[in-house]
Amino acid sequence: MGADVSAPDSGGGKKGPGVKKQARKDTKVDMTPMVDLGFLLITFFVFTTTMSTPKAFKLNVPDDSAKDEEKNEAKASGAFTVLLGKQDHVYYYEGQLLPDGSNFKSSNFKAIRNEILKKKANTPEKDLVVIIKPNEESNYKNVVDMLDEMQIAVIKKYAIVDISEGENALIKITEGGSVPPSGGK
Amino acid sequence: MSKLNKIAKKSTWVDMTAFVDVAFLILSFFMLATKFKPPEVIKIENPKSVSSENQPDKDVFKVSFDAQGRVFVSFSSDPEGKEKAQGLAQQLSKQKGLNLSNAQIANFVRFSVGGIGVPVTQLPSFLNFSEGEYKQFPQPGIPVQDSTNNQLNDYLNALLTSTGGRKPTNVMLNGDNGTKYPYFKNVLAAFKKNGIFSFKLITSLEGVPSGTPLYKQQNERK
Repeated sequence: MGADVSAPDSGGGKKGPGVKKQARKDTKVDMTPMVDLGFLLITFFVFTTTMSTPKAFKLNVPDDSAKDEEKNEAKASGAFTVLLGKQDHVYYYEGQLLPDGSNFKSSNFKAIRNEILKKKANTPEKDLVVIIKPNEESNYKNVVDMLDEMQIAVIKKYAIVDISEGENALIKITEGGSVPPSGGK
Repeated sequence: MSKLNKIAKKSTWVDMTAFVDVAFLILSFFMLATKFKPPEVIKIENPKSVSSENQPDKDVFKVSFDAQGRVFVSFSSDPEGKEKAQGLAQQLSKQKGLNLSNAQIANFVRFSVGGIGVPVTQLPSFLNFSEGEYKQFPQPGIPVQDSTNNQLNDYLNALLTSTGGRKPTNVMLNGDNGTKYPYFKNVLAAFKKNGIFSFKLITSLEGVPSGTPLYKQQNERK
């Protein structure tokens, strides 16, 4: 039957009335269900998959038993200490913390990068060491952000060290709102 | 009148072919660009970093901690990960006198893909759960708060003993943005105690800010 129809069609009898009807047969297919199916699958993929592929950030921590000798290597002049407090607060001081706390400064995650870079520019590379001291109210994000800043500023030597009571007290005073140590400046 | 009739009879047929093309284009984009969500029982939002190294997915030992500080251990679902999970369960059972049956150990291996976060003493009853019960059960997390009762230490010790002291290839730390620092510190302490000093933190990618030393370094290399 199919051959019967196609033979006169390809034969060139285009103008014949009977043939014309056959040639004009609608070849359109209703695509609507296919669109439905397509979008159904899209929705499925949107909900069951994740876009962001997680990345691995390398972290090596020192052996605690060898800590004492290594600690002494850090020159006070090349040290830059970053303290992390609650609610993304960042504090820092250069060198050693003065007894009156006058070099203890308050900062934030945006501004700290410039401070680190400034310190890096003013310090011989072998002396520069950044010490990160998170207190118990800082969170994991703060620590990783700070480690990330080390990558961004290409700091070779950095360490995560436990915070001392004196430093934590200074943070508490600043966060408590009563007389910030750097307020006089 | 005849004019009106003509308008009314106009076909409402719309050619959907282009629409299908678009739909399948988007579909193929999603299929290629995304990855299936791992079957996590715990909800964790990772911090961002500039690191662009891809996360390994074979032979992974992962320690996760969520915003509440609950700690979980998990293994990848490939044969090597399963073997290590089994080793850990057998060793832990021996060291702590849990007397886990083979079925319980098999459950440990099964649950370890999603994450196991129960204190050692609760393990036997926890491992009797079915898959559905496991997903429903609010796991309390492995206790790490107290340095004298840091049970992650027990898990790690069992893992290292079962591999004969060989350290796991990929130690991943999967932490939530909101986890308080002391939990992270205690997790690190447990690892340090077992002589593991090298980790990979799971982070999501963030662009390197322009003008910074790292940015300059990367551009020089190109």
